[in-house]
Amino acid sequence: MSDVSELIDRGIKAYVAGKVGEALRTFQEVLERDPGNPRARSYLLLIHGGAAGLVPETSGGRANGGAIPLPGAAPAAIRLPAPAGGAPEDFAPSPWDEGPAAAATFVLDPEGGLDLDAVAEKSDLRPLVPAREPTAVQLQGKKEVDVWMQAAKELFALGDFTGSLELIEKILQADPDHGEAREYLRQNESTLIAMYESKLGPLAGIPRLAIKPEEVMWLNLDHRAGFLLAQIDGAVDYEALFALSGLPRLDTARILANLIADGVVTS
Amino acid sequence: MSDQEPVIGIDLGTTNSVVATVRDGVPRVIPNRNGQPLTPSIVAIAKNGKRLVGALAKRQAITNAENTVHAAKRLIGRRWGSKEVEDARKVLPYTLRAGPDGNDVRVELAGRSYSIPEMSAMVLAELKADAEAWFGRPVTKAVITVPAYFNDGQRHATKDAGRIAGLEVLRIINEPTSAALAYGFGKQVERKVVVFDLGGGTFDVSILDIGKSVYDVVGVGGDTYLGGEDFDRRVIDWLTFGFAKENGGIDLRGDKMALQRLRDAAEKGKVELSAVSSAAVHLPFLMGGGEGKPALHLDRQLSREQLEELTKDLVDRCIAVTERTLKDAGVRPAQVGEVILVGGMTRMPRVQRAVKEYFGREPCRGVHPEEVVALGAAIQGHALTAPQAGSEVLLLDVTPQNLGIMVVGGYFQTIIGRNTTVPTSETHLFTTVQDNQTSVRIAVLQGASDRAVDNELLGEFVLEGIRPARRGEVEIEVSFDISADGIVGVSARDVSTGQQQSITVTATSGLTEDEMKRILDEQIDELLEKKQTTREFDLRKQRTQTTLEEIEALRPAVQEALERTRFGKDAVQKAEGVLARVKQAMDARDAAALSEQEESLERTLQLFKGLAGAGRGQGGR
Repeated sequence: MSDVSELIDRGIKAYVAGKVGEALRTFQEVLERDPGNPRARSYLLLIHGGAAGLVPETSGGRANGGAIPLPGAAPAAIRLPAPAGGAPEDFAPSPWDEGPAAAATFVLDPEGGLDLDAVAEKSDLRPLVPAREPTAVQLQGKKEVDVWMQAAKELFALGDFTGSLELIEKILQADPDHGEAREYLRQNESTLIAMYESKLGPLAGIPRLAIKPEEVMWLNLDHRAGFLLAQIDGAVDYEALFALSGLPRLDTARILANLIADGVVTS
Repeated sequence: MSDQEPVIGIDLGTTNSVVATVRDGVPRVIPNRNGQPLTPSIVAIAKNGKRLVGALAKRQAITNAENTVHAAKRLIGRRWGSKEVEDARKVLPYTLRAGPDGNDVRVELAGRSYSIPEMSAMVLAELKADAEAWFGRPVTKAVITVPAYFNDGQRHATKDAGRIAGLEVLRIINEPTSAALAYGFGKQVERKVVVFDLGGGTFDVSILDIGKSVYDVVGVGGDTYLGGEDFDRRVIDWLTFGFAKENGGIDLRGDKMALQRLRDAAEKGKVELSAVSSAAVHLPFLMGGGEGKPALHLDRQLSREQLEELTKDLVDRCIAVTERTLKDAGVRPAQVGEVILVGGMTRMPRVQRAVKEYFGREPCRGVHPEEVVALGAAIQGHALTAPQAGSEVLLLDVTPQNLGIMVVGGYFQTIIGRNTTVPTSETHLFTTVQDNQTSVRIAVLQGASDRAVDNELLGEFVLEGIRPARRGEVEIEVSFDISADGIVGVSARDVSTGQQQSITVTATSGLTEDEMKRILDEQIDELLEKKQTTREFDLRKQRTQTTLEEIEALRPAVQEALERTRFGKDAVQKAEGVLARVKQAMDARDAAALSEQEESLERTLQLFKGLAGAGRGQGGR
């Protein structure tokens, strides 16, 4: 599986660098090795224009400065094709179709922003000089972080929060103070937690084992899921399980949602 | 009886606590809100910030050890720097610090500092809430039990804990006295009784003389670091060793999640073995198997014989302590008329056999070992609030430790010996040690050591104006007086001049009155805040409920509209997500989450209105 991770990494880099053909081949190779790989599927969808309204492409690959929705804003407007025969005029517009006022998509002009040079003389503004020139390794690391960040944003926009989160975690390992990554981390986590928790039902609900206790050992679980499963005794509710687990809320919610999806636990 | 305010008896244990009451003349245990008679005396701030008390706190005690406070009873009323606190610091995983005056002990919990009475108060508040749920009305009056060896400071601190929990503590009584009270309830008992109390963390043995409704503790002893947890640890070690042997030396104790499950399973297996001869310990997916390998299981059978072998020395230690205590009190095993077993560990058949072998008689089986102390406290509480002619119970308590003063050379001179029945008074004569000595310092101490420095200082004062004379010529009379409430009065008098000085030793819990006031004020603020949050939630809920009803009323029309076209389906799907989150926030009574969803809910209503209007418009054509 580590080959698959490397391939995905390579694919992302190629994609972000505008080498669409190479990215396409790489993600297809991933799917040959791991047919259900969600990350590769997300990117192939992206490359094939599944979310063309989200990330405009040019003939040379991705356009620079593609519009990426900011975390906290609703996903960018995806215009649905009008129903056959045209949309009835008296249909009320959906607020989501229009997008909330606060969720406008900002397109940054790559050449835009404050021209520091122009104001430098008047304001006595001077750029800061780094204490030490960044080394080649640091520069390489920064480039990688930028690539991951770009990819994380795109996955977020695609609704692949797990994939986005994985990349964000990678970024934060390399640069723990990365402000943008931290913001995306928060957004990804809260979205995923809400998604997984919605599978659990009311948090005051009491989960129960849906299989015979002697069948538990035939499951394919890791020790963290084993620990959580051991806490399910027909008396504690989901909220208490979150407190008992000692795991981050996201991990607990994910494990419990998976146990429900696998029919191991029922509410 | 039903109109009278209920009174509860609380056994505030080191590991578990129990609450009981007397209803319709029958003492009974009040189960907690989970239906269990025992509530672990554990408080924690879970990793998600939630405060846990009792069984839930226990179930994460290892995985979140630094924020889980157990065995607070070992620290209550103790001074910072005392041997007991130093011993506790060696074994307790949470952080202890000195209080603001450098004297008492504070616990660091999730970034906040708490006094020990505050920690105990959290357990007491939980028991109070359980009782209120059971009675369906407020409960404020309680009798709380403490070990017979607790000194005045510890008793006072326990009382303060009760006050913080919102309880009026009618009386603090000794645990063995309480057990004997429950044992003697409704009987005419006149004999010497031994209370053999092997709890979760401590072992106490007490000898009582029960006369006509008089309960007199004539001797106490024990080991404050011997209990059920030591038995559990032996089982954990046995399981860990077996697992390591089967799995290439993997030590489960290094993994907190594994250790938590092991501890729970060890305790469960141990309890089972009191009733059956073999117990299965089955822990699937206990530990990660390493890179790419499946998780490892633990599957072992523990027999009663194996458990007895593993814990033989612990049982022997209990008997040795019992032997020493009886010897100290001058009581022979044959003189003991009854042995009352207290504490869950005394259910172990090996413990019962050892007791029987030592005393040469079957221990009493008429009382429930885990409930008897709380039941006794409830009986005492009932007697204090609803006395009936002829049924008064007189509890005679004894001084738990020697009381005396410091004398020349830094030695401790006992004036009132331990196990003396209170109220009592005693006078001793002393002389000056220097020529022309005009003042003398009287340091009042409590403890078992010959060296003054090893004992607890209760207070001190200086007697001045002594007649100048050669050393040894002036006689100073020192008197100790202990009231029935345990208040110690000490006076020193120059016999020849009559010059006198005295002190009243009032026990302190380590909390100053100002601190106590602050804690109680904070609780009032917390209560008000809770009320405010509840009010806020209720208002939001009401508004949300109205919107939800409006949305639900529009649902048929929306469905109809959606059947005609797929336009808007995506939006409705998202709206369903909003509705699910709103309902979740309402179930969890989470005002903040509800507030976060308010705008989305309003948009959902607008969407539904739009779709319904469109559907109706089309339908009309």
